Amino acid sequence: MKLIQTEKEALLRPLQAVTGIVERRHTLPILSNVLIEKKNENLTFMATDLEIQITTITNNNETTKNELAVTVAAKKLQDILRALPEKALVTLDLEENRLQVKAGKSRFNLQTLPVEDFPKLPESTEQQARITLKQKELKNLLFLVQYAMAQQDIRYYLNGLLLLLEDNHLKAVATDGHRLGFAWVELESNQERKEVILPRKAVLELAKQLNDSDDPVIVEILQNQIKFTFSNIVIVSKIVDGKFPDYNRVIPRGYQKHFEVNRGLLLQTLQRAAILSNEKFRGARIILTTGNLRIVCNNSEQEEAQEELEIKYEGGALDIGFNITYLLDVLNNLTCETVQCSFGDASSSALITVPGNDNFKYVVMPMRI
Amino acid sequence: MNPPDRRIAHLDMDAFYASVELLRYPELKGLPVVIGGGDDQQSVQDLDGVRQFARLRDYVGRGVVTTSTYEARALGVFSAMGMMKAAKLAPDAVLLPADFNAYRHYSRLFKEAVAVIAPEIEDSGIDEIYIDLTQHPEETLSLACRIKQSVRDATGLSCSIGLSPNKLLSKICSDLEKPDGLTILGADDIPSRIWPLPVRKVNGIGPRATERLASIGINTIEQLSKADPATLQETFGLNYARWLQSASHGVDNRPVVTHLEPRSISRETTFERDLHPRHDRPTLSKIFTDLCDRLSQDLKGRGYLGRTIGIKLRFEDFHTVTRDITITEPTDDATMIRRAGEECLRRVNLNRRIRLLGVRAGSLSATGQSVVGPIMQQQELHLTLE
Repeated sequence: MKLIQTEKEALLRPLQAVTGIVERRHTLPILSNVLIEKKNENLTFMATDLEIQITTITNNNETTKNELAVTVAAKKLQDILRALPEKALVTLDLEENRLQVKAGKSRFNLQTLPVEDFPKLPESTEQQARITLKQKELKNLLFLVQYAMAQQDIRYYLNGLLLLLEDNHLKAVATDGHRLGFAWVELESNQERKEVILPRKAVLELAKQLNDSDDPVIVEILQNQIKFTFSNIVIVSKIVDGKFPDYNRVIPRGYQKHFEVNRGLLLQTLQRAAILSNEKFRGARIILTTGNLRIVCNNSEQEEAQEELEIKYEGGALDIGFNITYLLDVLNNLTCETVQCSFGDASSSALITVPGNDNFKYVVMPMRI
Repeated sequence: MNPPDRRIAHLDMDAFYASVELLRYPELKGLPVVIGGGDDQQSVQDLDGVRQFARLRDYVGRGVVTTSTYEARALGVFSAMGMMKAAKLAPDAVLLPADFNAYRHYSRLFKEAVAVIAPEIEDSGIDEIYIDLTQHPEETLSLACRIKQSVRDATGLSCSIGLSPNKLLSKICSDLEKPDGLTILGADDIPSRIWPLPVRKVNGIGPRATERLASIGINTIEQLSKADPATLQETFGLNYARWLQSASHGVDNRPVVTHLEPRSISRETTFERDLHPRHDRPTLSKIFTDLCDRLSQDLKGRGYLGRTIGIKLRFEDFHTVTRDITITEPTDDATMIRRAGEECLRRVNLNRRIRLLGVRAGSLSATGQSVVGPIMQQQELHLTLE
């Protein structure tokens, strides 16, 4: 029975959008599969790892009004489609328990697994919040903080990103215990206070799939789930059951030592110095004196890099150490012209902000020299 | 005799690995939990968000128990027990895989917390330390309580402390009131508190010595303290017999060693394939030079000079030989090390393929300056829940 006949690209693109989360080796074989469902003129692809579920919906312009569904190894189907010539006309045929992929003189017979076994996330109906914003706004918000998320930390609630609805703001916070990123975007209307922790994998997937357009993304917070609907994609993710630390207490206030500096210039300077920083510990000394910023890096071979920048600074001398990766991360992910750096003493956190714009803050703890 | 004025603490984390796992899965508190086995015991989250844990009854394999919670110990499951055997005793116990990265993280946290209060620390494992409190001005009981509290604040975990005039007694004491115990012992308390214990409780009397002591009718520390020295010496030899008796009287003069000086520094490598001493000479020569370079860097980095240079060769049949040479001037120079190493190599009969080559510098003396700056240490954000 014919499932669909179309150009390779029309299948490959929606398929690739869902395969990013498919685990190659999983104890449940069906999790390596993609669920392809045809309902009238709509063709949907769905993949899941039991934590996240991604669905793409495409209109296949076909006239045949039948309903069909199949699950088949996602990566294999993707590899086959990718290897076919451009614009090739592809037919997917469902015969008994096999899916046949045909294009020109190529034939591929793939085994399938029962559609009923595919573990769709239970649809949560209890909607606790719903907001709409531009895709580029959400994408930008995620990029401002996602690099600060923890990775496989035993404090499991740090392996994700806090999304917080408060007044007319959507706030995002991520921290790995050494540094913390905080950003917010304005919403059209006031919201009831609501917070959820989005798992790391969902954050990375979402940031990858959102585009830079003004097109809308609908965010729905459900019971134990969060749902993002945008373009022709639906991402449903479980939320991390846990309490996120109080980010407000970590953000320092009233620092007296600060300077402003061109972001690109500081980034390039740090990138050069980082070449000779210790590969494991990544330490860099930041030495501030009136009008001058000096950066010193040493590695285990006793090689040394020194960089100097003239800056407008009168806050008094300071000699403080940082993991240079944490500084490069924030500078790489900002897009603004100028950044402001503020300091307390050599054992207090540093605060990086954008002058004239209070919707972003980055706090980073020093290294003891 | 003991110098009377020492105050040595032994701090032992309570069921350390298991307690770290309980921080991660608080829902397992109060249940028998066993750590051991491989990753396939990883818990999985159900569709409805409920975490499913592996049970000991389902375990098949030859692994042993790494550690267990006090609830599991009550059922008779202890470290190093075969898991299949443990499953018979506690089939319903939750089985978790060991996560050493997490344990190391918490190990660092508790040691740092103690170091803030009392810096004279001897590291004696991932979950235990000795602390020399002799010079500390604070009164013993309140100091010990403060250390326990700071460990709890830093990690959320409990520990047991034994405090006495030496390491031997403190190690015994920390075990007396586990978990969350605090035992302070003076020399006068030895007959009442230490002597009734079985000899096995003394760190240094292992299962075999225990067996042999039992065979001459000695089971408790008191019996050991009153044993006939001649009989002991006959059974164990002079040195161990002497040590046994001084230990039974609670005598131990070992200092708390806060910094370990290395005896030697070495570099070695096993080749991807066995190399022939003649046909693969250029390759071997290059590897030898690299090893000497790296050894030289290690010496310079840590601030040592070596006066004995040695080599190690392992042949294809796993036969291993070492040769070393003492040079006139201590060195950290790669060329000097290479030259001394060549001298050693000449004394080896190279008639088989080689699988491993190593270079070592011994008889170390400090240059007085370690050229690696002090390693910078990352500080933590003070994250708190509201």
